[in-house]
Amino acid sequence: MLDRAYSYALRLVRNRADAEDLVQEAALAAARGFSGFQQGTNFGAWYFRILTNCFYARHRRRETTADADLDEIPDLYLYERAADLGLHGTSTDPAGELLASIDRDQIDEALVSLPEEYRVVAALYFVQDFSYAEIADVVSVPVGTVRSRLHRARKLLQLRLWDVAREHGLVRGAPEGSS
Amino acid sequence: MNIDRYTCAEVFARLDDYLDRELDSAEVDLVRQHLETCEKCSSEYRFEAGVRENLKTRLRRIEVPTSLTAKVRAALSDQDATGSG
Repeated sequence: MLDRAYSYALRLVRNRADAEDLVQEAALAAARGFSGFQQGTNFGAWYFRILTNCFYARHRRRETTADADLDEIPDLYLYERAADLGLHGTSTDPAGELLASIDRDQIDEALVSLPEEYRVVAALYFVQDFSYAEIADVVSVPVGTVRSRLHRARKLLQLRLWDVAREHGLVRGAPEGSS
Repeated sequence: MNIDRYTCAEVFARLDDYLDRELDSAEVDLVRQHLETCEKCSSEYRFEAGVRENLKTRLRRIEVPTSLTAKVRAALSDQDATGSG
């Protein structure tokens, strides 16, 4: 459980020391509040909920996320960029080829750069492989909210990954103005 | 209403749920049926599936510090000892 918690925490905060602190803080809070855990319910979701709340208490910047701005990001963002690069006609794995140019640290950075409420659902989805219902349980929001946050998080992540790829010159032949 | 076929727009609206196995079996069948016959939607589906799997695989590779368990145990012991647990 601690390994999974650390994996999740590291995707929420920017460095290993903060991730360890967050896991420890959540463990202490869980121990103090264990009487509040209902036997027979999902212990993992309960502990991840505590960890998420610890993260929000420490790191939530009271910035409001402009959903309208996120909604302006076109769907299938990387798919269209791959089309611009001509990958669909030439590669058997255009997604893999495009992402191969981006290293792990840059993917980490793109994820951690997401606004907090999107970062949380994206980390639970990508790192923990939680279902929408499990994420809803952890974050204490309806499944429909998880669905829309994940949709926006994925779009923003694709946009950030493309920006990273272009900034680092990792995408050869990227047309100007295609960000 | 008896729907026996999805349009491209109907499939696209369900693409996230399909990829994330969040659709019921009847909808899964309708989406799959469309993807089998529509090259454009099928291409989009394969790409999005590839992106998700690539990111999931790479984001899950994390080295957990070996000291973490000991550190948390020590903190829990301290909390017990100080009577705040």
